[in-house]
Amino acid sequence: MKREIPLAITFISGFLLIVALFIPHKPFGTLQETFNDWYIIVSGFTMILGIDSLLLHNWNKVKRRKSDWPYALALIMSFFLTFLWGLYSIVYEPTHNPFAPTASFLKYFYKSIFVPLQATMFALLAFFIASAAYRAFRAREINSTLLLFSAALVMLGRVPEGEQAAPYVFGIISLLFAVYFFIEASLLTAGFLKYLYIALGVLLLAAIYPVGKLLLAYLPKIADWIMNIPQLAAKRGILIGVALGGIAMSLRIIVGIERTYLK
Amino acid sequence: MREFFEKLGKIDRRIIYLIVAIGVITPILFKARLPIKPLPEVRQAFDYIESLPESSAVLISIDYDASSMPELQPMLYALLRHVFRKNLRVIMLGHWPLGVPLGQIALEDVAKEMGKKYGVDYCFLGYRPGIAAVMLNLGKEIRSVFASDYKYTPLDSLPMMRNIHNYNDIALLIGLEAGSVGDFWVQFAQARFNQKIILGSTAVITPDIYPYLQAGQIVGLIGGLRGAADYETLVNTPGPASIGMYSQTVVHILVVALIILGNVGYFVLRRRK
Repeated sequence: MKREIPLAITFISGFLLIVALFIPHKPFGTLQETFNDWYIIVSGFTMILGIDSLLLHNWNKVKRRKSDWPYALALIMSFFLTFLWGLYSIVYEPTHNPFAPTASFLKYFYKSIFVPLQATMFALLAFFIASAAYRAFRAREINSTLLLFSAALVMLGRVPEGEQAAPYVFGIISLLFAVYFFIEASLLTAGFLKYLYIALGVLLLAAIYPVGKLLLAYLPKIADWIMNIPQLAAKRGILIGVALGGIAMSLRIIVGIERTYLK
Repeated sequence: MREFFEKLGKIDRRIIYLIVAIGVITPILFKARLPIKPLPEVRQAFDYIESLPESSAVLISIDYDASSMPELQPMLYALLRHVFRKNLRVIMLGHWPLGVPLGQIALEDVAKEMGKKYGVDYCFLGYRPGIAAVMLNLGKEIRSVFASDYKYTPLDSLPMMRNIHNYNDIALLIGLEAGSVGDFWVQFAQARFNQKIILGSTAVITPDIYPYLQAGQIVGLIGGLRGAADYETLVNTPGPASIGMYSQTVVHILVVALIILGNVGYFVLRRRK
């Protein structure tokens, strides 16, 4: 019965909600509204469960003196400080609302501690992304090379004046590669490879001006095209796939084939 | 010389951090600004708000928190200035409990600046759990989810809310998104109730929203810091987004240059092996 009852509840609820969508008359019409109310109430209680799990997990860390336990202690203390001040606000704040940002201490806590901390954590990403992109974004094969070029074009094409900077970026990089090819060529004895390197170097130098002009004139349009055509086609395919997968998974849960949620 | 090219692929990460820090901080310190030409999708959002009749109700949903604040908070300020300048009425709520106060702070700041009155020109509903259920119930009756505002004032006591009951009474929904709540707005408010929607989003999730714009499911898209800067330009109140855009431009150029330098080093090393 431990399995059958939850399976029956899932089947009946899922089935009724599907029926309610197609039959907007009583009693089905009001069913969805009632279920939504229940869902909102249950969602509220899941927060209590979350708090319980968070506190227990961190309390165990402190009790067993696990690594980084002072952070767990800081979390527990911050939680109770905020919670108790919230209770105090219920009684003494003019709005009697502990969650109103006008409640003085909570407002201070939120604006001066929580917001800067959270924003700082995320701001660090800029540094990590720059470093990771430099280290990991390599033109190893044709796919990654295409990705690299389109990323560079979109990054420069979607910022103001990006088209002004792009010819210089391209020029400097072409110059670097050309110099490298000439050095390699000078170290080789006469042969196909030597002439190939020289040709590549000359080609890169010759390309600086026309490609620069092209980027100056069309870079934002190229970036828009990448965003609106290939990007959108891939995104739409993913969206349709996700939606079909969601429908299939929902049906599997409703009819009881998928039971992992019971574990 | 070969060693120089090899070294290009092995720049110390601390040097990269320093270059990025200088690139971000310098334009902000000098409050430098670049000329901004608004993107078509941002202009589309602006034009839609421009076309709304006076005193129409606009529902703004705060679906982000402090981590996305640099992109979405300036966007919210610019949108609020535009909406209040047009004498539209603002109803604000949120689905990210930790970010909802950010919305309220902005709402009160701009309302004070524009001389708007609580309950008459704007109101703040706060947060309720259960994203999809809240959206669906808003389509039937707002009071079934929010019987009162965040100060526990019954909605019927607020003059502006007396005739607002569901999406039929709301001319436009603006969702400011840092996650997937925007998808829910489109699936529930637009697809089921035909609600007109403008989405403002972080740059990371903007590509996810483009399909909705192209399909006509949303009437405008304000994407990332660029979108916020575009909107500030359109409402003629340059602010943090316009300044931040210079930093973002510098960092984009830096990252592209670093990626290419890394590849030059990689290419040289691979040739040697």
